[in-house]
Amino acid sequence: MSKKITFDYWKHLYSNRTKYMVSSEIRDLLSLSARPDIISFSGGLPEVRALSFERLEKYIRRIIKTDGAVSLQYSGSDGYYPLKTKLIEVMKLEGVDTVEEDIITTTGSQHALDLLSKIFINPGDVIITEAPSYTGALNSFNSYEAKITGIPVDEHGIDVSILEEKLKEFKKEGVVVKFIYLVPNFSNPSGVTLTLERRKKVLELAKKYKTIILEDNPYGMLRFEGRSIPTIKELDINGDNRNVIYLCTLSKLLAPGLRIGWIVAPHPILEKIILGVQSTILCVSALSQRIAYEYFSDPSWQENIERFKSIYSKRRDAMLSSLEENFPRGTEWSRPVGGFFIWLKIQDFLNTKEILADAVRNKVAFVPGSGFYADNRGLNEARLAYCTEDTDRIKKGIKILAGIIKEKIKLYKSFK
Amino acid sequence: MKKNIAVLMGGRSLEREFSIKSGEKISNALRKLGYNVIKMDIDESIVNNLSSEKINLAYIALHGKDGEDGTIQEILEVLDIPYTGPGVYPNVLSFDKIVSKQIFESQKIPTPPFYFLNTSSFRELGSSKLLPFITEKLGFPLVVKPSAQGSALGIKIVNNKESLPEAIIYALSYSKKVILEKFIDGVELAVSIIGNDKPRTLPIVEIVPKKEFFDFESRANIGQTDYFVPARLSSSEEKKIKETAIAVHNSLKCNILSRVDIILDKKDKIPYVLELNTSPGMTDTSLLPMAAQEAGMSFEELVNEIISMSL
Repeated sequence: MSKKITFDYWKHLYSNRTKYMVSSEIRDLLSLSARPDIISFSGGLPEVRALSFERLEKYIRRIIKTDGAVSLQYSGSDGYYPLKTKLIEVMKLEGVDTVEEDIITTTGSQHALDLLSKIFINPGDVIITEAPSYTGALNSFNSYEAKITGIPVDEHGIDVSILEEKLKEFKKEGVVVKFIYLVPNFSNPSGVTLTLERRKKVLELAKKYKTIILEDNPYGMLRFEGRSIPTIKELDINGDNRNVIYLCTLSKLLAPGLRIGWIVAPHPILEKIILGVQSTILCVSALSQRIAYEYFSDPSWQENIERFKSIYSKRRDAMLSSLEENFPRGTEWSRPVGGFFIWLKIQDFLNTKEILADAVRNKVAFVPGSGFYADNRGLNEARLAYCTEDTDRIKKGIKILAGIIKEKIKLYKSFK
Repeated sequence: MKKNIAVLMGGRSLEREFSIKSGEKISNALRKLGYNVIKMDIDESIVNNLSSEKINLAYIALHGKDGEDGTIQEILEVLDIPYTGPGVYPNVLSFDKIVSKQIFESQKIPTPPFYFLNTSSFRELGSSKLLPFITEKLGFPLVVKPSAQGSALGIKIVNNKESLPEAIIYALSYSKKVILEKFIDGVELAVSIIGNDKPRTLPIVEIVPKKEFFDFESRANIGQTDYFVPARLSSSEEKKIKETAIAVHNSLKCNILSRVDIILDKKDKIPYVLELNTSPGMTDTSLLPMAAQEAGMSFEELVNEIISMSL
């Protein structure tokens, strides 16, 4: 007697949001990029080897010796106060002037995104993002069943006239936009930076249409050239300080392994977020927060940032010059002035998702563009991370990738 | 003394993740069975690793390139290390679907009609001009797939001539040769075979994907495919399919184990052979363990039987 095989007896109990949690071919292909023989332009992995491990060891020893029992214990849900004091100093360097009471630490920025999704998004709620946008944010918003509207990005950041049109349209339809999610500095994935005029305009629109901006700024301190542009949070603080929730992380300033991020938000929102922390993780690791505190208490942390910048800017230069030398006509890419990523657009008849297998077989990995769009656009686009590999491997990898793309173009033309 | 078994897993193939899942599950079973397990990834140190340890048997949990194309089997032959699954020759034959399909045809084993083309023939010989002739002969829909790739990677079903170039370019990302195969509308079946001199079939698994075909995501995500064991077949259909599977296994000179993928044509009830796998998946949702379970063998018993046949 034939029977249907049941692998999962509980599928009738799962929430609707689990339908977004699926294994994909891309994810499996990219798992190969962890192999040392693969030149990886896929993950935005910070160069943690540039840190002084001796110093970190010293900090950890000191914490365990002087504060061991407390640092290994549960801690407050709103974060370690002395660290918040240090984070205020860090943010001041980027023009964000705030107080400890407006900050909460999180287990990395991804946790912050989850908390904000949890407190703002009901199934079907509309939110706005850049298109392309950070895939981790899209996944978080999707898991709370948001309806995501992506606004195109050009070399100056999100297109504010299209944004305005959309907001108008939503208002007319009576649709509330819960928030606008932006990575204004050297965006992940596009690498572009939002201009000051557009920052002002976005803020103006948020106020006019009574919505919130989630300003995610993981890379702001990693600017290689040019002058810093005020954060939207700074512009808001100078006004009524109501519309911007600011997110930052230590993953790029120190190390992602510590899993420390933070949120600066107007007080009523922060209260909700604290309750969200209590119901999810109780508290952020007390030990990690103390390590971060020690790191920022040592003036050498700013030298580390300079070291990071010097490493990443050389890698960016290597990637940009290799793209210039090797890539065929008709391809274009962004020219970031900081951060980790270059956004690539190839011929519109090619699909980067479908080129990935060939690239991985030839020992190069990148992330196809469609994963950075909520509506599967970006089929001929890709994100290239220059932060991970050294300059020689970057040059080699770009050359290989260019060869594959040229081959595909020839192949495609053979059908014409 | 405990026997040392090297579980070869991971590797450089695009099916690395699947292989790691299979390898971990096999390793756990081996430990329960009392073996000493040495897990090995496949990289430039594999020959050193294999030759520096006293290894009684290599359990091949690799899928795709290196693991199913005869490469690792040849290394193990040179090092005189016994291994699981068929030998070098059947792996070489089965990994190239063009070669294996031609063997099936020569032995009158039904396989969907097909043509193959390679990258350079498109670029240098104008093979794209052949496509109207091919579609005329095979009709639509057409299955476009790489000649050497597992886990349904690189496969597309094409319904019109406009979509053909994209599907061919896609398939050629996975392999240097592309197969254009007549689409058979039917029931997808997997027949697992174990045994040395007298191979025997395990209960047939019927695969009912919720998507258009049993693609990568249908395989990787629990719930995207329904499986029926034994397959819902008449006894004559079952007999015919099992005989066909054994004929396939023998035609490629397989021993120890294999899995034959077949489509039973809805209309004429002909069992068309798609391919033979020499290192079938051993994950939680894989077809071989599913068939073994129906035959009354636990996962550990299946692993143990494969080992006893291989030593």
